[in-house]
Amino acid sequence: MKSKLVDMMMSFFICTACITILEGIIGMIFFPQLTFGYEAFFSPPLFGFLSVLFSIVNYSKKELSIRQVLFRRFLHLLLIEGLVLGLNYRTGALSDFLFSFVLAASVAVVFILVYVFVWIGERASAMRFNEQLKVYQSRQG
Amino acid sequence: MKVSIRKITDRKKEQVIIECVYVTPEIEDIKAYASLKGTELSGITLDQSMIRFRLEDVYYFEALDEKVFAYTKEKVCQVKMRLYEVEEFYKAYHFVRCSKSVVLNLMLLEGISPALNGRFFAHMKNGEKVIISRQYAPELKRIVMGGERDEK
Repeated sequence: MKSKLVDMMMSFFICTACITILEGIIGMIFFPQLTFGYEAFFSPPLFGFLSVLFSIVNYSKKELSIRQVLFRRFLHLLLIEGLVLGLNYRTGALSDFLFSFVLAASVAVVFILVYVFVWIGERASAMRFNEQLKVYQSRQG
Repeated sequence: MKVSIRKITDRKKEQVIIECVYVTPEIEDIKAYASLKGTELSGITLDQSMIRFRLEDVYYFEALDEKVFAYTKEKVCQVKMRLYEVEEFYKAYHFVRCSKSVVLNLMLLEGISPALNGRFFAHMKNGEKVIISRQYAPELKRIVMGGERDEK
């Protein structure tokens, strides 16, 4: 449970950082004339929080097969796409097809990036383990 | 420490006697090492013949359909034990649970690599890959990494 919470916190911060960068890039391209107040700072952490909250679909008490994990990840992505596109539609920001496409693609990029960063963290953890394993085996053997 | 070896003729009477003032962790290590060297198991191979093999040659034990199998470099054989018994009895010999159905030998583990969903692959020295489930990964890391903190 503790490691799950740590994972979620890490995903939240990575997600928020990626959303901030992508909002900046997309905003500069599609709406360079728009200016925002301080409340705009809350948008990336809010989307980050909701995205991580939706990761509950990945949770299972049973060990999932690779196929089940991939299906749940896809479902997670669909929920986030629905959230982002739905909110943008309600605010009237989904003005044209190109913007909608770029936004959807950006969400997918952030989604993949988060998992890539998490995987890099796990690989670093595995490498530390492997170093210690050699020490353990030479000490015990 | 003084070491002496006395040759005998009967293999069944082979033994190691440790004489010490205190049972220190080093003495415990020697005891575990000596016990491991003598531990032999018997099992039934897939062609139904009974064989004996050394515990230290077992890469991992796996429970399949209410049966427990031991995997050595060349053979797979069924042992008359439950997986929880394997885990409990051979804990001192570096066997640890890595998933609901597998207990692996840490001494024959080559390394680990990340898999999906917080799980890891255990790469055994014979080239086989076994899944380390999310639930058992922290305990495995605690045993190997000792005091070093690594929650993931």
